[in-house]
Amino acid sequence: MRGSARTTGVGRALVAFGALGLAACATSPFQRAGNADDVAAAVARSQAPGPPSRSLVFLVLAGSGGPRLAAYDLGASKLLWTQPADVTTRVEAGTSVLVHGTQGLGGPGSPSNGAVVGRDIGTGAVLWQRAMQPKERLFGYAVDGDAVFLVVQTRGGPGRPTGALLALDARTGIERWHRELPSGRVAAPAARGGLLAVPLDSQYVLLFDAGSGTELGQALSTEEAATFVRALPEGIFYGSRGLFLLGRGTARGTRHSTGYLSARLPDFVRPVYWYDLYRPEQSEYSAIDRNRILWRITVDGDRPQFRDGLAFVHDYRFFFAFDVGSGALRWVYDSPNSDAVASADTGRAILFVTADGEIGGLDPITGARIYEAHLPGEVVRGATFDAEGFAPMGAAAASKPPDMLATLTAIIADPDQRFPALKLFAIEELGRQPGRAVTAKLIDIIGKEGLAPLAYQKAGEMLVARRDAGSLDLLAAALRMHADFAAKRSPPPVEILARAVGALGPLARSLAPDLAAHLRLPETSPAASAEIARALVAIGARGSLPALRDFLAVYRADTSYERDPTALVAAAEAVLKLGGPADRVLLLFLAEEPHTATGLRTHLVRALGDTAPRAGGPTPPTASAGE
Amino acid sequence: MTRPRSRTLFFALALTLSGGALRAAPETAGTKTAKAKTKTAKAKAAAGAAPLAPAKIESLRQALMAPDEAAALDAAAALGSAGTSAARDPLVELLAAGATPVRAQSALDALAKLGDAHLLGKDPTATLEVLELYAGHRTPELRRRAIKVLGEISDPRAVPTLMERLGDAAPDVRASAAEALAGRGEIKAAPRMFALLKLGDAGVAAPLATIATPDLIPQIAELAGTIDDGIVASALGEYVKRADVPDKLRIDVLRTIGRLSGAAATTALVEYVASVPTKDDRPSKHEAQKLLDARGTNQ
Repeated sequence: MRGSARTTGVGRALVAFGALGLAACATSPFQRAGNADDVAAAVARSQAPGPPSRSLVFLVLAGSGGPRLAAYDLGASKLLWTQPADVTTRVEAGTSVLVHGTQGLGGPGSPSNGAVVGRDIGTGAVLWQRAMQPKERLFGYAVDGDAVFLVVQTRGGPGRPTGALLALDARTGIERWHRELPSGRVAAPAARGGLLAVPLDSQYVLLFDAGSGTELGQALSTEEAATFVRALPEGIFYGSRGLFLLGRGTARGTRHSTGYLSARLPDFVRPVYWYDLYRPEQSEYSAIDRNRILWRITVDGDRPQFRDGLAFVHDYRFFFAFDVGSGALRWVYDSPNSDAVASADTGRAILFVTADGEIGGLDPITGARIYEAHLPGEVVRGATFDAEGFAPMGAAAASKPPDMLATLTAIIADPDQRFPALKLFAIEELGRQPGRAVTAKLIDIIGKEGLAPLAYQKAGEMLVARRDAGSLDLLAAALRMHADFAAKRSPPPVEILARAVGALGPLARSLAPDLAAHLRLPETSPAASAEIARALVAIGARGSLPALRDFLAVYRADTSYERDPTALVAAAEAVLKLGGPADRVLLLFLAEEPHTATGLRTHLVRALGDTAPRAGGPTPPTASAGE
Repeated sequence: MTRPRSRTLFFALALTLSGGALRAAPETAGTKTAKAKTKTAKAKAAAGAAPLAPAKIESLRQALMAPDEAAALDAAAALGSAGTSAARDPLVELLAAGATPVRAQSALDALAKLGDAHLLGKDPTATLEVLELYAGHRTPELRRRAIKVLGEISDPRAVPTLMERLGDAAPDVRASAAEALAGRGEIKAAPRMFALLKLGDAGVAAPLATIATPDLIPQIAELAGTIDDGIVASALGEYVKRADVPDKLRIDVLRTIGRLSGAAATTALVEYVASVPTKDDRPSKHEAQKLLDARGTNQ
């Protein structure tokens, strides 16, 4: 009876729980999330755009001319039009209309929530404006053909906010259709050839027919958040730390999906494949435009690949091309004068615009400069390219790829303190390059004052790891540059140079005199002295025994070594290893002499005992010797 | 400067081991006796007594090496006043074998005292070797003292180290090196000293003036306004006091000093006037006085 009653209770609970679950399922708006047939059918409706016909860049200008929006024709290298405009969010270009955000219609500081503006692409004239209501928050927009699509979040009361997707006529701004979204946690849309994609609740991407607003399918990202959707001629993509090519294989997206891609990139790169569309602030021209990954895809069936096996990194003034499989650096370009505020991969060129009005283009394969134009006196806040497939004819062959060594060196030497991680990368990359010139650069880098400690350490590690026996003369020259106040010369980085010499072993024995000379210089730190002693052992520099003995003699009773006798111990070890029986006598004397630093004496007692000859030679001291 | 010093420590070691001083335990009756003897010797030396006998030197050597720090310092002082070049070796020996910084300082001071009295001996090789080591010591005070003693050794082998220490990071060491080189009349040190002067290094002003050739004086004068005028005034003030400077040139230099601002320029003029014997009626003296009067009137 009791058991039966218990079973009944548990059963009731399960039934109740199941009922709740079923009720939840019945009302879930995401019942078909991950349905491959739905997604495949939706994607099939999306038509690839026709061949590119324009090569425009829309420039958001500031400076003495006031806030303006301008259109520049890259092919003709001329400014098409300029209009006064207070542009807030990024320009999106359609067939004949461009759209951007602006301050409230009452101007800056007005209570309005901003507005969306439609302009004629040929003249820049305003066609329409749609003010956002006080309760509305614009998350973003997309333009497809003759329609503009907005995603808006509305806070109507005490409950959760709601989301809505709106379609407007691109020429008039008149609403074509309006559809409530199943969640208020919304993100900006993307549109391609009649298909709309809207991220929702971080994991979902809802697909709609652009003409009617009918929902067509739901993709579900199960391992990564889907913070963006992006429409490209090669397809629609979603993802966050990687890319999913929307299709049957990624309807339920995992990192193992055939449609998933991520590039192997160095640590300094932020894995930002596209803007986080859940964050409206990222729809504005900002620092995020200056620090992100540029990529294009080639699609073979449902299997995407990075175009040419490359991903590009825009890091403020610098552009890098990386092999996506190995992470190897292919080229690096430095825009020396100012930050590139915007960039785009057109598929055939990496285009960028700098804050001081330079418009540039790089060959994706070589990094060679293939396009250059200037807007003198202009201050550029941001830019949007509408130049799919643009590349200047024949320019790639005519221009020279950037000198990787020189560019990496320029990055390292750059006084700009914003890029510590980038500098470390540049040092590491420089160190990987072969040749004496690189060794010379590394020596130069570690000799520079004001280098960040981590950068100094990294450069030192790279120099030591090179074991460049072909550059002994460079190491010797560096070691000979002693500090000189009168000549305004700082001491060389002896500690690292000693490690570099030591790493070469007997091959570097000729450097022993130059190295040992530093043992008698006042600017040589105890840490450097220790490294020198170790290096002298490593290279088998018996000829440096006098310098080692002198060092021991002069400092062995120096009270400053009482706390840390490492340098003395290293010198004593060197004498023990390189010297003969007479040196053992010397060390025995030091071990017994009461003024010798305690740490050194203790070490010597042990070391002499451990290495005592089996027959003959001085008797090792006892632990209490000299006490 | 970088010649082999392969035997420095072994040399010291041989000496010390033969005496067995370094094996002595903490202060013994023997060392107390040595300490007492040291005090006596010091007193005698201070009173201008006759050079110490070899036995006493040996006794001081033992005290110098013994664990008792105070006795060792007394012994060093006594050796510095020993009045004989035989006192040099124990001091050099101590430095070669290594000592606490305080003991090393007192040994260097004692050597300097012997140097002042021209008692550093005929063959300074070992002394030079040890002093070169301490001229590169990490403690600036030891370097400065070593430089001072090196300046007392007329052997040309001392010059490279002195030249090198003109580039020392410590101003006092640079100044000592400059004084030592100037004291030796090392004209080849002038360009380096001028480089330091251009950096505003006050410590080289007077030494540079001692060895400067006439063609360097306009260059020094041109530094006015780029470095502290007082440093320029000090250099030029020292220069005009030199006996080998033609009086006509002195007048030009004094007028340059007169144009400089600050107390150092006034002091340079006053010192020049004071340096000229009362009976010497040279025109430059009148010019200096005139410039001083004018400075007084202007103020």
